[in-house]
Amino acid sequence: MALLGIGVGRGQEFEGKRLVAASLVSSASAIVPGKPFEVGLLLEMASGWHTYWEYSGDAGLPTRIAWTLPEGFVAGPIQWPAPEAKVEPGDILTYAYGDQVLLITTIVPPPDLVASSPVTLKAKASWLVCLEICIPGSADLELSLPVGAASQPENASLFDKFRAQIPSPENPPYSLAWARTGGDLTLTVGGLAAGEAISLFPLAAPNQEVGHPKSLGADSVKIPVAGPFRGVLSIGEGALRRSWYVEDGASQPTPVTLAAPAPATTGLWTALLYGLLGGLILNLMPCVLPVISLKIFGFMKQAGEDPRKILIHGLAFMAGIFAWFLGLAILVIALRAGGAEVTWAFQFQNPWFNVAIGSVVFVFALNLFGVFEIVLPGQASTALESAGSTGGLAGSFFQGIFATLLATPCTAPFLGTALGFAFGQSAVVILAMFASVATGMALPYLLLSAKPGWMKFLPRPGAWMERLKQFMGFPLLATLLWILSILGGQRGVDGVLWFGCFLLSLAFACWLYGSFCGPLAKVRTQVIALALAVLSISAGGWFFLGEKFASGQSDKADEIAWVAFSAQKLQALRESGQTVFVDFTADWCITCKFNERTAINTPAVRELLTSRGVVPMKADWTNANPEITAALKAFGRVGVPFYVIYSADAEPIVLPELLTEAIVLEALKKLP
Amino acid sequence: MKKLLTLALALAVSTAAYAQVEVGKPAPNFTLKDCSGKEHSLTDFKGKTVVLEWVNHGCPFVVKHYSAGNMQKLQKDATDKGVVWLSVCSSAPGKQGHMAAADAGKKCAEVGSNATAYLLDEDGKVGQLYGAKRTPEMYVVNADGILVYHGAIDDKKSTDSADIAGAKNFIATALEELAAGKSVSTPKTEAYGCSVKYAN
Repeated sequence: MALLGIGVGRGQEFEGKRLVAASLVSSASAIVPGKPFEVGLLLEMASGWHTYWEYSGDAGLPTRIAWTLPEGFVAGPIQWPAPEAKVEPGDILTYAYGDQVLLITTIVPPPDLVASSPVTLKAKASWLVCLEICIPGSADLELSLPVGAASQPENASLFDKFRAQIPSPENPPYSLAWARTGGDLTLTVGGLAAGEAISLFPLAAPNQEVGHPKSLGADSVKIPVAGPFRGVLSIGEGALRRSWYVEDGASQPTPVTLAAPAPATTGLWTALLYGLLGGLILNLMPCVLPVISLKIFGFMKQAGEDPRKILIHGLAFMAGIFAWFLGLAILVIALRAGGAEVTWAFQFQNPWFNVAIGSVVFVFALNLFGVFEIVLPGQASTALESAGSTGGLAGSFFQGIFATLLATPCTAPFLGTALGFAFGQSAVVILAMFASVATGMALPYLLLSAKPGWMKFLPRPGAWMERLKQFMGFPLLATLLWILSILGGQRGVDGVLWFGCFLLSLAFACWLYGSFCGPLAKVRTQVIALALAVLSISAGGWFFLGEKFASGQSDKADEIAWVAFSAQKLQALRESGQTVFVDFTADWCITCKFNERTAINTPAVRELLTSRGVVPMKADWTNANPEITAALKAFGRVGVPFYVIYSADAEPIVLPELLTEAIVLEALKKLP
Repeated sequence: MKKLLTLALALAVSTAAYAQVEVGKPAPNFTLKDCSGKEHSLTDFKGKTVVLEWVNHGCPFVVKHYSAGNMQKLQKDATDKGVVWLSVCSSAPGKQGHMAAADAGKKCAEVGSNATAYLLDEDGKVGQLYGAKRTPEMYVVNADGILVYHGAIDDKKSTDSADIAGAKNFIATALEELAAGKSVSTPKTEAYGCSVKYAN
C-alpha cells in the first residue's frame, strides 16, 4: 500500500490464511513540533475472526500497543471504540471487534523538535484473534513521517469513522436512572427515540465480578455487578451508533478524555476542617456582611439583658444556621438519590428566586432606614421584652437562616475543594460537611453569646444605635444591587427595570404602612392605608412582574471575545492544537465577577490572550446548565469560580479561585 | 443489537445448569470418566485437597503454561504433597481441545502432565455446573469439600510464557496456605483464557 500516512504493515498467518493485517496509520501528513496528532493501529481481520476490546469479557485478551518513540515524544492511551458483544455457546460473552478496527492513540511531539529527515515511530502491537479457536498474534510496526511547519489531514474518513465510535466522556443527552436490587444494577434510559437500541458494555475493575447485561425492555438494561459500575452506553446501531462512558451514582466521578486531574483524595478530617474554615470565611463575604448588621443589632439590644438569655439567643441563631445547612444537605441527598444535577448555590439560578430575595432585602433596608417599623417576633421592642423570650428566640432563629441563605453563592476557596469532596460522598459525609460549614459560620456568634463578658467590648446601647441602624440599610441596598446585577444577566436591562418598578410599588406600600398604621392611628385610617398598600403591591406585582418581567430576555456585553462553552467545541479546539482558557462563572457569583473585573478583563491580559492565540471560553453557569455541571464535576468541583487553561500538549492548569492579574499573566506567559 | 440481546436473553434463560458454585460453599459433586475409562467422583477424594483445572490443549493460554513446564511442575509439587489434581476438558465433540479417551491419554503423556487424572466432560455439564468459562480456570476444594479458591492461575494476563516467572501464582499460594492450616488469602480472582468450547 503506497498510500501516504500508512506505515509498513504486517500480517498474522495461520494455516495459510491471513487472519489479521496490522498497520499504523497517521491522521496527519507531517509532524508539527509541539502539536499533538493521532496515529491509529489498523487491524483488518479475516471474516468471522475478532480481536478484543479494553475489557474482553468472559474470555479473550485486549490488544496492546508498546511504543518505541524518539526522544521527547509522548504517546497517550488507546482510545477504544465501542465494541460488539459476542456470544459463544455455554453462556460465554465477550466484547470484541470484527472486520476492521482502528485503535487511535494521540502522539505528542516535543515542541523543540528539529529534524531534517523523517521521524520513525515504532510500535509492537500484540493481540488475540479468535473464531472458535484463539491465536495470539503480534507485529512490529513502523510509521515514518516528515517534520514540518504545517500538516494536512490524512486518512480522514478512516479516522472519522472510528473516532465517532469512541465513547464520549460527557453525560449523554438522555436521562439515566440507576437502581440496585440485590446483586443487580438496572439502568433505565429516558428520552430515547422510538426504536433506538441501547447496549451496555461493562468496564470491570481488576477482579471485579461483572455479569452479563440483560435487556429488560426497549430502554432498560440489567447487569449483575458488585461495587461501583463503570462502562459504555451505546445508543443506535451501525455507523450511526453513538457511545458515552457512564457510571452509576455509587462511583466516584472519574474524569476521562478531558484529562482532568482526579479529585483530590482529601481526608475526611481535612475536608471537615476546610468546611469549618470556609464557614468562618463566609462571614466575611460581601453577600453576608450586610446581614451582619441585623445580627449585631440583635446582640446589642440583648447586651443589656440577662446573660443566659443572650446565650440562648445565640444558640437559637446558631440553630437557624444549622437548620438551613442541614435542610440543604437533606435536599442535596434527596436530589442526588433522584439522580438530578444538584450543585451549590442552585437557588440563585432561578430569576424568580432572585426577585423574591431582592424584594425581601429591599424591604429590610427600608425598615432599617425607618420608613416603617415591623413588629416582628425577635425585634426586641419594649412590649415584647416583657412578653418573654420565646418570641425573641424565633426571631434569632430566623435571622440565622437569613444570614446563611444569602451566603450560599459565595464559594470560598476552602469550600470549593471541600464541597467537591462531599458531593461524591455518602449521605453521612454530606451531613457532616454541611454541619462543619454551619459551625464555622456560627462560631463567632456562639462565642459572643456564650461569653457575655466579651460583650463588654461591644458598645453600650444609646442614641447612636439609631444612626447605625439606618447606616446598615446601605449594605443591604448594596446586596440588592448585586442581586439586580444577577437579574441583569438573567433578564437584561429591561428585566431589572421592571423589577425596579415593582420595588417602587413595594416601597410605596411600606411607606403607607409605616406612616398610617402606627399604634396611635385611627382604625379607619389604618384600614384604608393597608388596603392601598395591598393594592399597590398586587398591582405592581401583577403588572411589573407578571406581565413585563416574566417576558424578559437576557443580554450580555463584554470586552473579551468570549466563546460560549461546549465540551465538543473545547475538544475540537484542543485537537487542533489551540490553547483554551476556560472561565467557569455565573452572574450571581460575586467572586467570579470580582475576578473578571480585576484579574481577567484587563488590558494586559487581553493583549496576552490575543498575542498567544489563546481562545477565551466562558462557561456561563448563571442558569442551570448540565454540560457545564458535568465539566465541573470532572475536576471534582461543584461551584464557581473555576479557571482552567488547557494547553495543547500539557496537563490542564487550574488557577486559584481568588485571582489576581499577576496570576493570570504568569500562567499565560508560561504557555509555549 | 436487538437480535443479539434477545439471543443473549434466550441463552441465559435456556442454560439449564446455572453455575451454583460460590467460594465458601460446598463444591458440587460430579462423576466423570478419565482417559482409561475409569470413573471418578469428587466425593471419592473427601479428606484431601482437590484442584480442578479446566484445560484445552489448543488454547494459547493453556499452551503458555504447559510449554514452559509451569503447569506440570505445579501438578507434581501438589500431588507429591497429597493434593489431588484433576484436569477437566469440557470441549464438545468437534471443538478445539476435544479428544477421544485414547488420544487424551497420549496427549497427557506427550505434554508430561502430572495430574492425578484427566477427566472428559464432553457434554459440558460439569463445566456449566462449575460456571467454567475459560481455560485455564482453576478451582481449589479443601479437605471438607468447601470451595476455597476460584479464578485465574496467576496474575499476569497474557499468552507469553515469559510472564510466568514474574507472576504471582494463586494456586501455589493457596495450597501453601491450606497446608499450613490457614485460610486462603485471595479466594477469588478473575480467570483469563480462551472460552471453554461448549456445544452449540
